[in-house]
Amino acid sequence: MSDLFSELFLGALLFGAMTAAVPLLLAGLGEQISEKAGVLNIGIEGMMIFGAYTGFVGAYYSGSLWFGFLTGALGGAVVASIMVLLCVRIGLNQIVIGIGLTLGFDGLTALLHHFQFSRTYPRLAAAEITAIPLLSDIPVIGPAFFRHHLLVYLAVLLVGVMVYVYRRTQLGLNLQAAGDKPAALDVAGVDVVRTRTVAVLSTGVLAGLGGAYLADVGAGIFVPFITNGAGFLGIVLAMLARGRPLWVLLGALVFGLCLSLTTALQVAGINIPTDVIQMIPFLAVMAMLVIFGRRSQLPAALGIPYVRGAR
Amino acid sequence: MKKQLLSALSAILLAGTMFGAASAAEVKSIAILTPEEGTDYGWNQQGVDAAKAAAKAAGVEVVVAQGLGYGDVRPTLRELAEEGASLLIAHASGYNTAAPEIAKELNVPVAIVDTPSALSKGLIADYTLSGHEGAYLAGRLAAKMSRSKTVGIVVSGEPPSWNSQSSAFAKGVKEENGDVKVIYAVIGPAAYSDAAGGKRVTESVIAAGADIIFGQGNGSSFGMLQAVETTKAADGGKVLFIDVIGDKSPIDKGFLLSSVVWNIEPVYAAMIADLKADTFGTKSYAIGLKDDSVKLLKTPQIPDDVWGDVQKIREDIISGKIKVEPVFEATAVRALMSDVKE
Repeated sequence: MSDLFSELFLGALLFGAMTAAVPLLLAGLGEQISEKAGVLNIGIEGMMIFGAYTGFVGAYYSGSLWFGFLTGALGGAVVASIMVLLCVRIGLNQIVIGIGLTLGFDGLTALLHHFQFSRTYPRLAAAEITAIPLLSDIPVIGPAFFRHHLLVYLAVLLVGVMVYVYRRTQLGLNLQAAGDKPAALDVAGVDVVRTRTVAVLSTGVLAGLGGAYLADVGAGIFVPFITNGAGFLGIVLAMLARGRPLWVLLGALVFGLCLSLTTALQVAGINIPTDVIQMIPFLAVMAMLVIFGRRSQLPAALGIPYVRGAR
Repeated sequence: MKKQLLSALSAILLAGTMFGAASAAEVKSIAILTPEEGTDYGWNQQGVDAAKAAAKAAGVEVVVAQGLGYGDVRPTLRELAEEGASLLIAHASGYNTAAPEIAKELNVPVAIVDTPSALSKGLIADYTLSGHEGAYLAGRLAAKMSRSKTVGIVVSGEPPSWNSQSSAFAKGVKEENGDVKVIYAVIGPAAYSDAAGGKRVTESVIAAGADIIFGQGNGSSFGMLQAVETTKAADGGKVLFIDVIGDKSPIDKGFLLSSVVWNIEPVYAAMIADLKADTFGTKSYAIGLKDDSVKLLKTPQIPDDVWGDVQKIREDIISGKIKVEPVFEATAVRALMSDVKE
C-alpha cells in the first residue's frame, strides 16, 4: 500500500479535493447572499447547469477560459433574472419556482447539448496553472493547494471580500435587513425589492461561475446533468453555515477532502462497502457545521416574498 | 354449391386476415426510455440504436424517449403506454421501480435492467446484460500493454452489469500477469453524469501509477477520457483508455486502446419475438462473444501480435476452454479488488 501513496498520488488527491471544492464554494457563497436577503434560492442548480453550459460554449468557441467564466457567470445571471422576476418582483413561491428552474434548465441544456455537441463531444485543453512562488514548492501541499488556475485563488479571496461586505458595509447591512426585517429596511428608505434583486442576481453570477469552472476546469467537457447536484450541496453548505462565508469555505474544503479520502480508501483496496465510504463527505460536512455553526440563525424572513404594507 | 364454396372461401380469407391482423396487433410499436441522449457512444446510444434496429427487423414502430434524466419517469411511461406502445424498454437501472409499477397499473409489458428477480410472465422482463467475457479479454489486453504494471478500473456506480465487467477485467489482468496491480475506484453513488468526478478520480488513479484505465460510466466516462488525454503516466508516457458498451473511435484523439462493445439488438429482437409467442417475462437474455453481441474493439493502439494473442483467448472462451463467470454482487467485486490490488 505504501508505494501507492506516493507524493504524486497524495498531491493528486489533494489537488482533486480543491478542484471539487471550488464549484461548491462559489455556489455556497452565492446561495448565502440570497438567503441573507431573504430569498431561498432552490433554483441554484439550474443556474449552475446553465452556467456550465454557457461557460463551456464560451470557452470552447473563444479558446479562452476567462471568456468561458464570463459567459458562465452571465448564463447564471440570466436564470437568476427569471427568479427575480417571478419570486422577488411577482412574489411567487420560491421553492416551486426554484425547482422549476432547475428542471427546466437541466432539460434545456441537455437539448442544446444534443444539437450542438452530441456527435463530437469536444474537450478543452488542460487549464493553465498558476503556481504561487515558494509555496508551490512545498512537497505534497504545494502541488495540491498552490498550483491551480487563478480562479481558484480568486474564489478563496472572495470569502474575505464577502466577510468584509457583510460586516463592514452598508450593502451588507441592507442584505441582512432584507432577510431579517424587510419592513424595517423599507421604512429606512431602502428598496427591499431592489436589494433582493441584487442579491439573487449575484447568486446567479456566482453559481454560473461555479458551473463554468466545473465544466471548463473540473471536467474539461460539458455533458448533460454535469452538475450532478452540486447546486443542492451549495444550498446545504449555505444553510448550515448560516450567514458565515468562512464556514462555507471550510464546508466546501471538508467536502472536497472527504471526496478525495473516498478515492484514497478505495485505491488502498479497503474492503468496506463503497456506499459507506461515500457517505463520509456528507457526514463530515453535516457534523462540522452542526457542531460549529449551530449558534447562528437563519434570516427570519427567509422564503417570504416582501409586499409593502402586508402583515 | 358454388355460392357455398364462395362463402366458405370468403370466411377462410376473412379469418386469415383477422388472424394476421391479430398477430401483428400484438406488437405494434415499442418504446425505449433512456436517461441520457442516445448519442453518448455508450449505454444510451447502444440501447437506442438496438431498439431501432430490432423494431425495423420486426416491422414495428419505435418511439425513442431519450435524455429523461435519473428522476421519476412515471409520467413518460404512462404517456407512452397510453399511446399504445406494446413494449416499454426502461433502459436505466434507476427506472426499475417505476417501470414495473406502470406495467401492473396499465397492464403493459416492460423490460427493465439489473433485476432478474422481477420476472413476471407477460408483464415484466429483465435484461441484466454483461459483457464480462469481453471485459476479461480487455483485462488480458491491458496486462499485456501496461508499462507500469498497474492498471485502473474507474466506475461511476456499481450496477450488476458493471460489477461483472469490473471483476472479469481484474481476473483477466491477473491471469495474464499476476504481477500487475489493479486499482479500483468508484466515483460516487450513481455518478453516471458526473464528468468532473470521473476526471478527478481518474487523475488520482493515474497518479497512483496506472497507465491503462478501464472506465465504466455514461456521461462521466467523458471526464475519464479527458483525464487520460490531459494527464501523463508516471513514466511521462501516454495513458490509454478502455471503454465499455459503445465505440468512441469517432471522437478519439489517440488515447482509446479498446472498448468492450455491446450489441443489444438480439436482446430486443428476442423480446419482441417472446411477446408474439406469449413467452415474454419468462426468461433472461444474454449477450456474449459467441454471436459477436459482445466484442473487443480493435484500435491502432493495439499491436497486431497482441491482438492475435487476444483473439486466441477469445476462441478459447467461445470453445469453453476458458470459463469466465460473471460476478454481479458489489460486495464480491470489492472483496476481489482487495485481493488483486497487489
